[in-house]
Amino acid sequence: MVDLSYIEVENLRKTFTVRKKREKGKLLREKEIVEALKGISFTVEKGELVGYIGPNGAGKSTTVKILSGILNPESGRAEVGGRVPWKDRKEYVKHIGVVFGQRSQLWWDVPIVDSFSLLKDIYKIPENDYENRLKELTEALQLEKLMRTPLRLLSLGQKMRAELCGSLLHRPELLFLDEPTIGLDAVSKLALRDFLKWENKEHGTTIMLTTHDMEDIAALCSRVMVLGHGQKLFDGKLPELLERFDTVRTVAVKYDTDDPKLELPEGVEINKQDGEIRITYSPAEIPTANMLALLQNAGSIREMTLQSENIDYLIAAMYKEMDL
Amino acid sequence: MNTLHLYIRSMGMLLRSQLQYTSSFIMQTLAQLVMEGGEMLAVILVIDRFESLKHWTGGNLFFFFGLMSVSFYITEFFGRGVTGNFPSMVRSGQLDTLLLRPRGILTQVLCSGVDPRRITCIAVGVTALVMGSNMSRVSWNILKVLALAESIVMSCMLILGLFLIEGIFCIHSVKSVELVNALTYGGRSACQYPIDIYPRPLKILFTVLAPFALTMHVPAAYIMDKPLYGWPTWTVFVTPLSGALVFAILVMLFNRGVKFYRSTGS
Repeated sequence: MVDLSYIEVENLRKTFTVRKKREKGKLLREKEIVEALKGISFTVEKGELVGYIGPNGAGKSTTVKILSGILNPESGRAEVGGRVPWKDRKEYVKHIGVVFGQRSQLWWDVPIVDSFSLLKDIYKIPENDYENRLKELTEALQLEKLMRTPLRLLSLGQKMRAELCGSLLHRPELLFLDEPTIGLDAVSKLALRDFLKWENKEHGTTIMLTTHDMEDIAALCSRVMVLGHGQKLFDGKLPELLERFDTVRTVAVKYDTDDPKLELPEGVEINKQDGEIRITYSPAEIPTANMLALLQNAGSIREMTLQSENIDYLIAAMYKEMDL
Repeated sequence: MNTLHLYIRSMGMLLRSQLQYTSSFIMQTLAQLVMEGGEMLAVILVIDRFESLKHWTGGNLFFFFGLMSVSFYITEFFGRGVTGNFPSMVRSGQLDTLLLRPRGILTQVLCSGVDPRRITCIAVGVTALVMGSNMSRVSWNILKVLALAESIVMSCMLILGLFLIEGIFCIHSVKSVELVNALTYGGRSACQYPIDIYPRPLKILFTVLAPFALTMHVPAAYIMDKPLYGWPTWTVFVTPLSGALVFAILVMLFNRGVKFYRSTGS
Protein backbone atom coordinates (compact mmCIF):
# COMPACT_ATOMS: atom_id res chain seq x y z
CA MET A 1 0.00 0.00 0.00
CA VAL A 2 1.42 3.32 -1.04
CA ASP A 3 1.17 6.23 1.35
CA LEU A 4 -1.38 8.67 0.13
CA SER A 5 -0.45 12.29 -0.29
CA TYR A 6 -2.52 15.05 1.24
CA ILE A 7 -3.91 16.15 -2.10
CA GLU A 8 -4.30 13.48 -4.75
CA VAL A 9 -5.51 14.49 -8.15
CA GLU A 10 -5.70 12.01 -10.94
CA ASN A 11 -6.75 12.57 -14.49
CA LEU A 12 -9.14 15.37 -13.68
CA ARG A 13 -11.26 16.51 -16.57
CA LYS A 14 -13.73 19.31 -16.96
CA THR A 15 -15.52 20.67 -19.98
CA PHE A 16 -17.73 23.69 -20.25
CA THR A 17 -20.43 24.26 -22.78
CA VAL A 18 -20.28 27.82 -23.97
CA ARG A 19 -23.35 29.12 -25.70
CA LYS A 20 -22.40 31.38 -28.53
CA LYS A 21 -24.40 34.33 -29.62
CA ARG A 22 -26.97 33.36 -32.17
CA GLU A 23 -25.79 34.03 -35.67
CA LYS A 24 -28.03 35.60 -38.23
CA GLY A 25 -30.12 33.18 -40.21
CA LYS A 26 -29.71 30.35 -37.76
CA LEU A 27 -32.53 29.20 -35.59
CA LEU A 28 -30.58 27.81 -32.69
CA ARG A 29 -27.60 29.17 -30.92
CA GLU A 30 -24.47 27.20 -31.57
CA LYS A 31 -22.80 25.56 -28.67
CA GLU A 32 -19.12 25.18 -28.25
CA ILE A 33 -17.55 22.72 -25.90
CA VAL A 34 -14.47 24.02 -24.20
CA GLU A 35 -12.16 21.62 -22.46
CA ALA A 36 -10.99 23.48 -19.41
CA LEU A 37 -9.04 20.58 -17.93
CA LYS A 38 -7.76 17.75 -20.07
CA GLY A 39 -6.75 15.21 -17.51
CA ILE A 40 -4.63 16.81 -14.81
CA SER A 41 -2.75 14.74 -12.26
CA PHE A 42 -0.61 15.82 -9.34
CA THR A 43 -0.06 15.27 -5.65
CA VAL A 44 0.68 17.72 -2.90
CA GLU A 45 2.06 16.83 0.51
CA LYS A 46 0.80 18.32 3.73
CA GLY A 47 2.48 21.62 4.55
CA GLU A 48 3.65 22.32 1.02
CA LEU A 49 3.45 25.76 -0.51
CA VAL A 50 2.65 25.31 -4.16
CA GLY A 51 2.41 27.92 -6.86
CA TYR A 52 0.10 27.34 -9.75
CA ILE A 53 0.76 29.45 -12.82
CA GLY A 54 -0.36 29.64 -16.39
CA PRO A 55 -1.80 32.17 -18.80
CA ASN A 56 -5.38 33.34 -18.51
CA GLY A 57 -7.83 30.60 -19.36
CA ALA A 58 -5.37 27.80 -18.72
CA GLY A 59 -7.63 26.14 -16.17
CA LYS A 60 -6.12 27.41 -12.94
CA SER A 61 -9.34 28.73 -11.49
CA THR A 62 -11.21 25.66 -12.63
CA THR A 63 -8.80 23.45 -10.71
CA VAL A 64 -9.19 25.61 -7.61
CA LYS A 65 -12.95 25.55 -7.95
CA ILE A 66 -13.02 21.77 -8.25
CA LEU A 67 -10.64 21.26 -5.34
CA SER A 68 -12.65 23.64 -3.19
CA GLY A 69 -15.87 21.80 -3.91
CA ILE A 70 -17.63 24.47 -5.93
CA LEU A 71 -17.62 22.54 -9.18
CA ASN A 72 -17.96 18.88 -10.02
CA PRO A 73 -15.41 17.51 -12.47
CA GLU A 74 -16.41 15.61 -15.58
CA SER A 75 -14.29 12.65 -14.67
CA GLY A 76 -11.20 11.83 -12.72
CA ARG A 77 -10.37 11.42 -9.07
CA ALA A 78 -9.45 13.92 -6.43
CA GLU A 79 -9.03 13.57 -2.71
CA VAL A 80 -7.96 16.11 -0.18
CA GLY A 81 -7.07 14.71 3.20
CA GLY A 82 -9.06 11.59 2.34
CA ARG A 83 -12.19 13.54 1.40
CA VAL A 84 -13.63 14.00 -2.07
CA PRO A 85 -14.22 17.74 -2.51
CA TRP A 86 -17.47 17.56 -4.46
CA LYS A 87 -19.11 15.00 -2.19
CA ASP A 88 -20.70 16.22 1.02
CA ARG A 89 -19.85 19.85 0.37
CA LYS A 90 -20.88 21.11 3.81
CA GLU A 91 -18.53 18.74 5.62
CA TYR A 92 -15.66 19.25 3.20
CA VAL A 93 -15.54 23.04 3.19
CA LYS A 94 -15.06 23.12 6.97
CA HIS A 95 -11.49 22.02 6.35
CA ILE A 96 -10.49 24.46 3.67
CA GLY A 97 -10.18 28.20 3.24
CA VAL A 98 -10.35 30.08 -0.03
CA VAL A 99 -9.46 33.65 -0.85
CA PHE A 100 -10.37 35.08 -4.22
CA GLY A 101 -8.27 38.14 -5.00
CA GLN A 102 -11.08 39.85 -6.82
CA ARG A 103 -14.10 38.80 -4.83
CA SER A 104 -14.92 39.63 -1.27
CA GLN A 105 -16.24 37.12 1.21
CA LEU A 106 -16.86 39.58 3.99
CA TRP A 107 -19.82 41.89 4.40
CA TRP A 108 -19.43 45.23 2.72
CA ASP A 109 -21.08 47.65 5.11
CA VAL A 110 -20.27 46.16 8.48
CA PRO A 111 -17.20 46.52 10.70
CA ILE A 112 -14.91 43.63 9.89
CA VAL A 113 -15.03 42.34 13.45
CA ASP A 114 -18.79 41.77 13.00
CA SER A 115 -18.10 39.86 9.80
CA PHE A 116 -15.62 37.67 11.67
CA SER A 117 -18.09 37.07 14.45
CA LEU A 118 -20.72 35.97 11.94
CA LEU A 119 -18.20 33.64 10.32
CA LYS A 120 -17.70 32.16 13.76
CA ASP A 121 -21.40 31.24 13.77
CA ILE A 122 -21.35 30.02 10.19
CA TYR A 123 -18.43 27.69 10.87
CA LYS A 124 -19.64 26.90 14.40
CA ILE A 125 -16.26 27.75 15.89
CA PRO A 126 -16.21 27.36 19.70
CA GLU A 127 -16.05 30.73 21.49
CA ASN A 128 -12.72 30.07 23.19
CA ASP A 129 -10.99 28.85 20.10
CA TYR A 130 -12.36 31.77 18.13
CA GLU A 131 -11.01 34.36 20.58
CA ASN A 132 -7.52 32.86 20.51
CA ARG A 133 -7.40 32.50 16.78
CA LEU A 134 -8.76 35.96 16.15
CA LYS A 135 -6.17 37.50 18.45
CA GLU A 136 -3.38 35.59 16.78
CA LEU A 137 -4.48 36.48 13.27
CA THR A 138 -5.20 40.14 13.93
CA GLU A 139 -1.73 40.48 15.42
CA ALA A 140 -0.03 38.71 12.56
CA LEU A 141 -2.00 40.69 9.98
CA GLN A 142 -1.90 43.98 11.89
CA LEU A 143 -5.63 44.39 11.83
CA GLU A 144 -6.16 45.48 15.44
CA LYS A 145 -6.78 49.12 14.61
CA LEU A 146 -9.12 48.33 11.74
CA MET A 147 -11.49 45.99 13.51
CA ARG A 148 -14.30 48.54 13.91
CA THR A 149 -13.99 49.86 10.35
CA PRO A 150 -16.49 48.74 7.73
CA LEU A 151 -14.94 46.78 4.89
CA ARG A 152 -15.89 49.38 2.30
CA LEU A 153 -13.62 51.96 3.95
CA LEU A 154 -10.50 49.79 3.86
CA SER A 155 -7.75 50.11 1.29
CA LEU A 156 -7.11 47.24 -1.09
CA GLY A 157 -4.20 45.92 0.98
CA GLN A 158 -6.16 46.17 4.21
CA LYS A 159 -9.09 44.42 2.57
CA MET A 160 -6.90 41.55 1.48
CA ARG A 161 -5.58 41.19 5.02
CA ALA A 162 -9.11 41.16 6.37
CA GLU A 163 -10.12 38.54 3.81
CA LEU A 164 -7.20 36.36 4.81
CA CYS A 165 -8.14 36.65 8.45
CA GLY A 166 -11.74 35.68 7.63
CA SER A 167 -10.71 32.67 5.63
CA LEU A 168 -8.35 31.34 8.29
CA LEU A 169 -10.52 31.73 11.40
CA HIS A 170 -11.76 28.15 11.27
CA ARG A 171 -8.19 26.85 11.06
CA PRO A 172 -8.37 25.25 7.62
CA GLU A 173 -5.80 22.60 6.76
CA LEU A 174 -5.66 23.85 3.22
CA LEU A 175 -5.75 27.38 1.92
CA PHE A 176 -6.40 28.30 -1.70
CA LEU A 177 -5.39 31.73 -2.84
CA ASP A 178 -6.56 32.93 -6.21
CA GLU A 179 -4.34 35.82 -7.26
CA PRO A 180 -3.93 37.22 -3.77
CA THR A 181 -1.52 40.03 -4.60
CA ILE A 182 -3.45 41.43 -7.54
CA GLY A 183 -3.43 45.22 -7.40
CA LEU A 184 -1.47 45.47 -4.15
CA ASP A 185 1.38 47.91 -3.61
CA ALA A 186 4.91 46.71 -2.84
CA VAL A 187 4.64 47.05 0.94
CA SER A 188 1.35 45.19 1.09
CA LYS A 189 2.71 42.45 -1.15
CA LEU A 190 5.72 41.90 1.06
CA ALA A 191 3.60 41.89 4.21
CA LEU A 192 1.21 39.41 2.65
CA ARG A 193 4.03 37.08 1.62
CA ASP A 194 5.54 37.23 5.09
CA PHE A 195 2.21 36.38 6.61
CA LEU A 196 1.64 33.41 4.32
CA LYS A 197 5.09 32.05 5.17
CA TRP A 198 4.32 32.49 8.84
CA GLU A 199 0.96 30.74 8.63
CA ASN A 200 2.49 27.91 6.64
CA LYS A 201 5.32 27.43 9.11
CA GLU A 202 3.40 28.03 12.32
CA HIS A 203 0.35 25.88 11.57
CA GLY A 204 1.56 23.63 8.79
CA THR A 205 -1.24 24.92 6.59
CA THR A 206 -0.92 23.64 3.06
CA ILE A 207 -1.16 26.56 0.67
CA MET A 208 -1.90 26.52 -3.03
CA LEU A 209 -1.79 29.83 -4.82
CA THR A 210 -2.48 30.88 -8.35
CA THR A 211 -0.86 34.06 -9.48
CA HIS A 212 0.52 35.99 -12.39
CA ASP A 213 3.12 37.62 -10.21
CA MET A 214 6.30 35.59 -10.55
CA GLU A 215 7.79 37.27 -7.53
CA ASP A 216 5.07 35.69 -5.40
CA ILE A 217 6.24 32.33 -6.61
CA ALA A 218 9.90 33.15 -6.18
CA ALA A 219 9.36 34.43 -2.66
CA LEU A 220 6.94 31.81 -1.41
CA CYS A 221 6.73 28.59 -3.27
CA SER A 222 9.06 25.68 -3.01
CA ARG A 223 7.30 24.17 -5.94
CA VAL A 224 5.60 25.44 -9.01
CA MET A 225 3.18 23.90 -11.46
CA VAL A 226 2.63 25.34 -14.90
CA LEU A 227 -0.70 24.87 -16.55
CA GLY A 228 -1.57 25.58 -20.14
CA HIS A 229 -4.52 24.62 -22.32
CA GLY A 230 -5.86 22.46 -19.54
CA GLN A 231 -2.71 20.40 -19.23
CA LYS A 232 0.08 20.30 -16.74
CA LEU A 233 3.29 21.35 -18.48
CA PHE A 234 5.76 21.57 -15.67
CA ASP A 235 5.95 20.51 -12.06
CA GLY A 236 9.06 21.17 -10.02
CA LYS A 237 11.22 23.79 -8.39
CA LEU A 238 11.23 27.31 -9.75
CA PRO A 239 15.03 27.42 -10.44
CA GLU A 240 14.70 24.29 -12.56
CA LEU A 241 11.93 25.88 -14.53
CA LEU A 242 13.99 29.00 -15.07
CA GLU A 243 17.06 27.05 -16.10
CA ARG A 244 15.10 25.28 -18.74
CA PHE A 245 13.94 28.46 -20.31
CA ASP A 246 16.78 30.79 -19.50
CA THR A 247 18.10 30.30 -23.02
CA VAL A 248 18.93 33.80 -24.04
CA ARG A 249 21.24 36.45 -22.70
CA THR A 250 22.07 39.85 -24.08
CA VAL A 251 25.29 41.86 -23.83
CA ALA A 252 25.46 45.47 -24.83
CA VAL A 253 29.00 46.80 -25.42
CA LYS A 254 30.46 50.13 -26.50
CA TYR A 255 34.02 50.27 -27.73
CA ASP A 256 36.38 53.22 -27.86
CA THR A 257 37.00 52.65 -31.54
CA ASP A 258 34.25 52.76 -34.11
CA ASP A 259 35.30 49.59 -35.81
CA PRO A 260 36.26 46.85 -33.38
CA LYS A 261 37.55 43.57 -34.80
CA LEU A 262 34.86 41.28 -33.49
CA GLU A 263 35.18 37.66 -34.35
CA LEU A 264 32.27 35.71 -32.95
CA PRO A 265 31.20 32.14 -33.57
CA GLU A 266 28.12 31.37 -35.56
CA GLY A 267 24.69 31.33 -34.00
CA VAL A 268 25.18 34.68 -32.31
CA GLU A 269 22.93 37.56 -33.13
CA ILE A 270 24.58 40.96 -33.55
CA ASN A 271 22.86 44.34 -33.74
CA LYS A 272 24.73 47.59 -34.23
CA GLN A 273 23.08 50.83 -33.31
CA ASP A 274 24.54 54.25 -32.46
CA GLY A 275 27.93 52.78 -31.72
CA GLU A 276 26.43 50.25 -29.35
CA ILE A 277 26.68 46.60 -30.19
CA ARG A 278 24.03 44.26 -28.82
CA ILE A 279 24.93 40.63 -28.84
CA THR A 280 22.38 37.98 -28.07
CA TYR A 281 23.66 34.51 -27.32
CA SER A 282 22.74 31.34 -25.56
CA PRO A 283 24.80 30.53 -22.48
CA ALA A 284 24.34 26.85 -23.19
CA GLU A 285 26.31 27.15 -26.44
CA ILE A 286 28.89 29.72 -25.46
CA PRO A 287 29.65 30.02 -21.76
CA THR A 288 29.44 33.60 -20.62
CA ALA A 289 33.13 33.68 -19.60
CA ASN A 290 34.21 32.74 -23.12
CA MET A 291 31.93 35.35 -24.59
CA LEU A 292 33.43 38.03 -22.40
CA ALA A 293 36.95 36.98 -23.36
CA LEU A 294 36.06 37.26 -27.04
CA LEU A 295 34.63 40.71 -26.52
CA GLN A 296 37.72 41.91 -24.67
CA ASN A 297 40.05 40.72 -27.40
CA ALA A 298 38.26 42.86 -29.93
CA GLY A 299 39.36 46.20 -28.52
CA SER A 300 39.17 48.42 -25.46
CA ILE A 301 35.68 48.44 -23.99
CA ARG A 302 34.15 51.68 -22.83
CA GLU A 303 30.89 50.38 -21.43
CA MET A 304 29.29 47.01 -21.06
CA THR A 305 26.07 45.63 -19.58
CA LEU A 306 25.09 42.00 -19.33
CA GLN A 307 21.43 41.20 -18.97
CA SER A 308 19.75 38.02 -18.03
CA GLU A 309 16.12 38.07 -19.02
CA ASN A 310 13.60 39.24 -16.52
CA ILE A 311 11.61 36.46 -14.87
CA ASP A 312 8.38 37.65 -16.51
CA TYR A 313 10.01 37.54 -19.93
CA LEU A 314 11.15 34.05 -19.20
CA ILE A 315 7.65 32.96 -18.42
CA ALA A 316 6.38 34.70 -21.53
CA ALA A 317 9.05 32.89 -23.55
CA MET A 318 8.06 29.64 -21.93
CA TYR A 319 4.36 30.16 -22.71
CA LYS A 320 5.38 30.93 -26.26
CA GLU A 321 7.56 27.88 -26.61
CA MET A 322 4.92 25.65 -25.15
CA ASP A 323 2.53 27.24 -27.61
CA LEU A 324 0.09 28.62 -25.09
CA MET B 1 -32.12 25.82 15.83
CA ASN B 2 -28.60 26.77 14.92
CA THR B 3 -29.78 27.93 11.52
CA LEU B 4 -32.41 30.16 13.09
CA HIS B 5 -29.79 31.62 15.40
CA LEU B 6 -27.58 32.37 12.41
CA TYR B 7 -30.47 33.97 10.57
CA ILE B 8 -31.33 36.22 13.50
CA ARG B 9 -27.71 37.27 13.97
CA SER B 10 -27.33 38.01 10.25
CA MET B 11 -30.50 40.06 10.27
CA GLY B 12 -29.29 42.02 13.27
CA MET B 13 -26.01 42.76 11.62
CA LEU B 14 -27.57 43.81 8.32
CA LEU B 15 -30.11 45.99 10.08
CA ARG B 16 -27.40 47.75 12.00
CA SER B 17 -25.39 48.34 8.86
CA GLN B 18 -28.42 49.72 7.00
CA LEU B 19 -29.29 52.05 9.84
CA GLN B 20 -25.84 53.59 9.53
CA TYR B 21 -27.18 55.68 6.68
CA THR B 22 -29.96 57.19 8.79
CA SER B 23 -31.23 59.95 6.54
CA SER B 24 -31.23 57.77 3.46
CA PHE B 25 -33.12 55.13 5.41
CA ILE B 26 -35.80 57.59 6.55
CA MET B 27 -36.23 59.02 3.05
CA GLN B 28 -36.60 55.63 1.47
CA THR B 29 -38.99 54.45 4.13
CA LEU B 30 -41.17 57.50 3.51
CA ALA B 31 -40.97 56.89 -0.23
CA GLN B 32 -42.28 53.40 0.37
CA LEU B 33 -45.12 54.84 2.44
CA VAL B 34 -46.12 57.13 -0.43
CA MET B 35 -45.96 54.23 -2.87
CA GLU B 36 -48.02 51.80 -0.87
CA GLY B 37 -50.34 54.60 0.30
CA GLY B 38 -50.96 55.30 -3.39
CA GLU B 39 -51.91 51.69 -3.96
CA MET B 40 -54.38 51.89 -1.12
CA LEU B 41 -55.75 55.13 -2.49
CA ALA B 42 -56.56 53.28 -5.69
CA VAL B 43 -58.66 50.82 -3.71
CA ILE B 44 -60.37 53.69 -1.89
CA LEU B 45 -61.20 55.28 -5.25
CA VAL B 46 -62.64 52.04 -6.59
CA ILE B 47 -64.79 51.68 -3.51
CA ASP B 48 -65.83 55.33 -3.64
CA ARG B 49 -66.90 54.98 -7.27
CA PHE B 50 -68.59 51.61 -7.22
CA GLU B 51 -69.33 51.01 -3.52
CA SER B 52 -69.05 47.32 -4.15
CA LEU B 53 -67.44 44.86 -6.54
CA LYS B 54 -69.79 42.01 -7.34
CA HIS B 55 -70.96 40.94 -3.91
CA TRP B 56 -67.88 42.30 -2.09
CA THR B 57 -68.41 45.48 -0.08
CA GLY B 58 -65.82 48.22 0.30
CA GLY B 59 -64.81 46.87 3.71
CA ASN B 60 -64.26 43.43 2.19
CA LEU B 61 -61.99 44.91 -0.44
CA PHE B 62 -59.90 46.70 2.17
CA PHE B 63 -59.46 43.40 3.95
CA PHE B 64 -58.27 41.61 0.80
CA PHE B 65 -55.91 44.46 0.02
CA GLY B 66 -54.53 44.48 3.57
CA LEU B 67 -53.95 40.76 3.58
CA MET B 68 -51.93 40.98 0.37
CA SER B 69 -49.89 43.97 1.55
CA VAL B 70 -49.05 42.43 4.88
CA SER B 71 -48.01 39.08 3.38
CA PHE B 72 -46.10 40.53 0.44
CA TYR B 73 -44.13 43.04 2.41
CA ILE B 74 -43.37 40.76 5.33
CA THR B 75 -41.82 38.49 2.70
CA GLU B 76 -39.83 41.34 1.21
CA PHE B 77 -38.79 42.53 4.67
CA PHE B 78 -37.39 39.24 5.85
CA GLY B 79 -36.66 37.53 2.56
CA ARG B 80 -34.83 40.31 0.79
CA GLY B 81 -31.98 37.92 0.07
CA VAL B 82 -34.29 35.91 -2.16
CA THR B 83 -36.58 38.64 -3.47
CA GLY B 84 -33.85 41.12 -4.27
CA ASN B 85 -30.26 40.06 -4.12
CA PHE B 86 -30.05 36.56 -5.46
CA PRO B 87 -30.04 37.12 -9.23
CA SER B 88 -27.21 39.62 -8.94
CA MET B 89 -25.39 37.25 -6.62
CA VAL B 90 -25.39 34.62 -9.33
CA ARG B 91 -24.22 37.07 -11.96
CA SER B 92 -21.44 38.50 -9.83
CA GLY B 93 -20.17 35.08 -8.84
CA GLN B 94 -21.06 35.59 -5.21
CA LEU B 95 -22.72 32.18 -5.33
CA ASP B 96 -19.23 30.64 -5.35
CA THR B 97 -18.55 32.28 -2.03
CA LEU B 98 -21.69 30.77 -0.54
CA LEU B 99 -20.70 27.34 -1.78
CA LEU B 100 -17.47 27.62 0.20
CA ARG B 101 -19.25 27.78 3.52
CA PRO B 102 -20.51 24.83 5.50
CA ARG B 103 -24.15 25.93 5.34
CA GLY B 104 -27.11 25.42 3.05
CA ILE B 105 -27.24 27.76 0.10
CA LEU B 106 -30.83 28.86 0.64
CA THR B 107 -30.10 29.57 4.30
CA GLN B 108 -27.20 31.76 3.34
CA VAL B 109 -29.18 33.55 0.65
CA LEU B 110 -31.92 34.28 3.18
CA CYS B 111 -29.30 35.49 5.64
CA SER B 112 -27.88 37.86 3.08
CA GLY B 113 -30.64 40.43 2.96
CA VAL B 114 -33.22 42.31 4.93
CA ASP B 115 -35.26 45.28 3.85
CA PRO B 116 -36.48 47.29 6.85
CA ARG B 117 -37.85 50.03 4.61
CA ARG B 118 -40.84 47.78 4.00
CA ILE B 119 -42.03 48.43 7.53
CA THR B 120 -44.22 51.29 6.35
CA CYS B 121 -45.80 49.11 3.68
CA ILE B 122 -46.59 46.52 6.31
CA ALA B 123 -48.12 49.26 8.44
CA VAL B 124 -50.36 50.35 5.56
CA GLY B 125 -51.39 46.73 5.14
CA VAL B 126 -52.24 46.36 8.83
CA THR B 127 -54.27 49.57 8.69
CA ALA B 128 -56.21 48.25 5.72
CA LEU B 129 -56.82 44.95 7.51
CA VAL B 130 -58.16 46.71 10.60
CA MET B 131 -60.31 49.07 8.53
CA GLY B 132 -61.61 46.22 6.44
CA SER B 133 -62.37 44.15 9.49
CA ASN B 134 -64.29 47.00 11.16
CA MET B 135 -66.19 48.01 8.05
CA SER B 136 -67.14 44.40 7.34
CA ARG B 137 -68.17 43.99 10.99
CA VAL B 138 -66.14 40.82 11.37
CA SER B 139 -66.96 39.00 14.60
CA TRP B 140 -63.55 37.59 15.54
CA ASN B 141 -63.18 34.21 17.22
CA ILE B 142 -60.23 31.93 17.78
CA LEU B 143 -60.78 30.00 14.53
CA LYS B 144 -60.78 33.17 12.50
CA VAL B 145 -57.58 34.38 14.14
CA LEU B 146 -55.97 31.04 13.36
CA ALA B 147 -57.20 31.18 9.79
CA LEU B 148 -55.71 34.67 9.37
CA ALA B 149 -52.38 33.65 10.86
CA GLU B 150 -52.17 30.56 8.68
CA SER B 151 -53.14 32.57 5.64
CA ILE B 152 -50.36 35.11 6.20
CA VAL B 153 -47.68 32.51 6.89
CA MET B 154 -48.64 30.39 3.88
CA SER B 155 -48.91 33.41 1.60
CA CYS B 156 -45.42 34.48 2.64
CA MET B 157 -44.10 31.04 1.74
CA LEU B 158 -45.88 31.16 -1.58
CA ILE B 159 -44.44 34.57 -2.43
CA LEU B 160 -40.96 33.54 -1.35
CA GLY B 161 -41.29 30.43 -3.50
CA LEU B 162 -42.35 32.45 -6.54
CA PHE B 163 -39.39 34.76 -6.10
CA LEU B 164 -37.12 31.71 -6.12
CA ILE B 165 -38.13 31.09 -9.73
CA GLU B 166 -36.13 34.09 -10.84
CA GLY B 167 -33.09 32.74 -9.02
CA ILE B 168 -33.51 29.37 -10.68
CA PHE B 169 -33.70 30.97 -14.11
CA CYS B 170 -30.63 32.99 -13.30
CA ILE B 171 -28.62 29.91 -12.47
CA HIS B 172 -29.52 28.46 -15.85
CA SER B 173 -27.92 31.55 -17.34
CA VAL B 174 -31.16 33.04 -18.49
CA LYS B 175 -31.28 36.70 -17.68
CA SER B 176 -34.09 38.27 -15.72
CA VAL B 177 -37.38 36.91 -16.92
CA GLU B 178 -40.38 39.19 -17.12
CA LEU B 179 -42.70 36.22 -16.90
CA VAL B 180 -41.58 35.74 -13.33
CA ASN B 181 -42.49 39.30 -12.46
CA ALA B 182 -45.94 38.62 -13.87
CA LEU B 183 -46.35 36.00 -11.18
CA THR B 184 -44.82 37.91 -8.27
CA TYR B 185 -45.57 41.59 -8.73
CA GLY B 186 -48.42 40.85 -11.12
CA GLY B 187 -49.84 38.44 -8.56
CA ARG B 188 -49.64 41.09 -5.89
CA SER B 189 -51.49 43.64 -7.99
CA ALA B 190 -54.13 41.23 -9.22
CA CYS B 191 -54.77 39.31 -6.05
CA GLN B 192 -55.31 42.28 -3.81
CA TYR B 193 -58.80 41.91 -5.26
CA PRO B 194 -60.78 38.72 -4.72
CA ILE B 195 -60.27 36.04 -7.31
CA ASP B 196 -63.91 35.59 -8.35
CA ILE B 197 -64.04 38.97 -10.11
CA TYR B 198 -61.55 37.74 -12.72
CA PRO B 199 -62.11 35.86 -15.99
CA ARG B 200 -61.33 32.20 -16.12
CA PRO B 201 -57.68 32.19 -17.36
CA LEU B 202 -56.63 34.46 -14.51
CA LYS B 203 -58.62 32.37 -12.06
CA ILE B 204 -56.70 29.31 -13.16
CA LEU B 205 -53.38 31.12 -13.05
CA PHE B 206 -53.85 32.34 -9.50
CA THR B 207 -55.48 29.20 -8.21
CA VAL B 208 -53.31 26.51 -9.73
CA LEU B 209 -49.95 28.00 -10.71
CA ALA B 210 -49.55 30.77 -8.18
CA PRO B 211 -52.32 29.90 -5.74
CA PHE B 212 -52.87 33.27 -4.08
CA ALA B 213 -56.59 32.52 -4.22
CA LEU B 214 -56.06 29.45 -2.06
CA THR B 215 -53.70 31.00 0.49
CA MET B 216 -55.50 34.35 0.80
CA HIS B 217 -58.95 34.58 -0.68
CA VAL B 218 -60.40 31.37 0.69
CA PRO B 219 -59.52 32.15 4.34
CA ALA B 220 -60.26 35.88 4.01
CA ALA B 221 -63.70 35.19 2.55
CA TYR B 222 -64.39 32.79 5.42
CA ILE B 223 -63.31 35.39 8.01
CA MET B 224 -65.79 37.84 6.50
CA ASP B 225 -68.53 35.17 6.51
CA LYS B 226 -68.85 35.07 2.73
CA PRO B 227 -67.23 31.71 1.93
CA LEU B 228 -65.60 31.75 -1.49
CA TYR B 229 -67.60 29.62 -3.96
CA GLY B 230 -69.58 28.48 -0.89
CA TRP B 231 -66.85 26.01 0.06
CA PRO B 232 -67.16 24.32 3.50
CA THR B 233 -65.22 25.62 6.50
CA TRP B 234 -62.54 22.93 6.63
CA THR B 235 -61.24 23.98 3.23
CA VAL B 236 -60.21 27.27 4.84
CA PHE B 237 -57.47 25.51 6.75
CA VAL B 238 -56.46 23.10 4.00
CA THR B 239 -56.20 25.18 0.84
CA PRO B 240 -53.62 27.64 2.22
CA LEU B 241 -51.22 24.71 2.61
CA SER B 242 -50.76 24.97 -1.14
CA GLY B 243 -48.42 27.87 -0.33
CA ALA B 244 -46.11 25.52 1.54
CA LEU B 245 -46.40 23.02 -1.30
CA VAL B 246 -45.36 25.53 -3.94
CA PHE B 247 -42.51 26.64 -1.69
CA ALA B 248 -41.33 23.05 -1.19
CA ILE B 249 -41.41 22.32 -4.92
CA LEU B 250 -39.47 25.44 -5.75
CA VAL B 251 -36.90 24.85 -3.02
CA MET B 252 -36.37 21.43 -4.56
CA LEU B 253 -35.93 22.98 -8.00
CA PHE B 254 -33.64 25.57 -6.49
CA ASN B 255 -31.39 22.92 -5.00
CA ARG B 256 -31.36 21.17 -8.34
CA GLY B 257 -30.37 24.46 -9.89
CA VAL B 258 -27.44 24.72 -7.50
CA LYS B 259 -26.42 21.20 -8.45
CA PHE B 260 -26.65 22.15 -12.09
CA TYR B 261 -24.52 25.20 -11.39
CA ARG B 262 -21.88 23.06 -9.76
CA SER B 263 -21.68 20.73 -12.71
CA THR B 264 -21.65 23.41 -15.38
CA GLY B 265 -20.00 26.41 -13.81
CA SER B 266 -20.85 29.93 -14.71
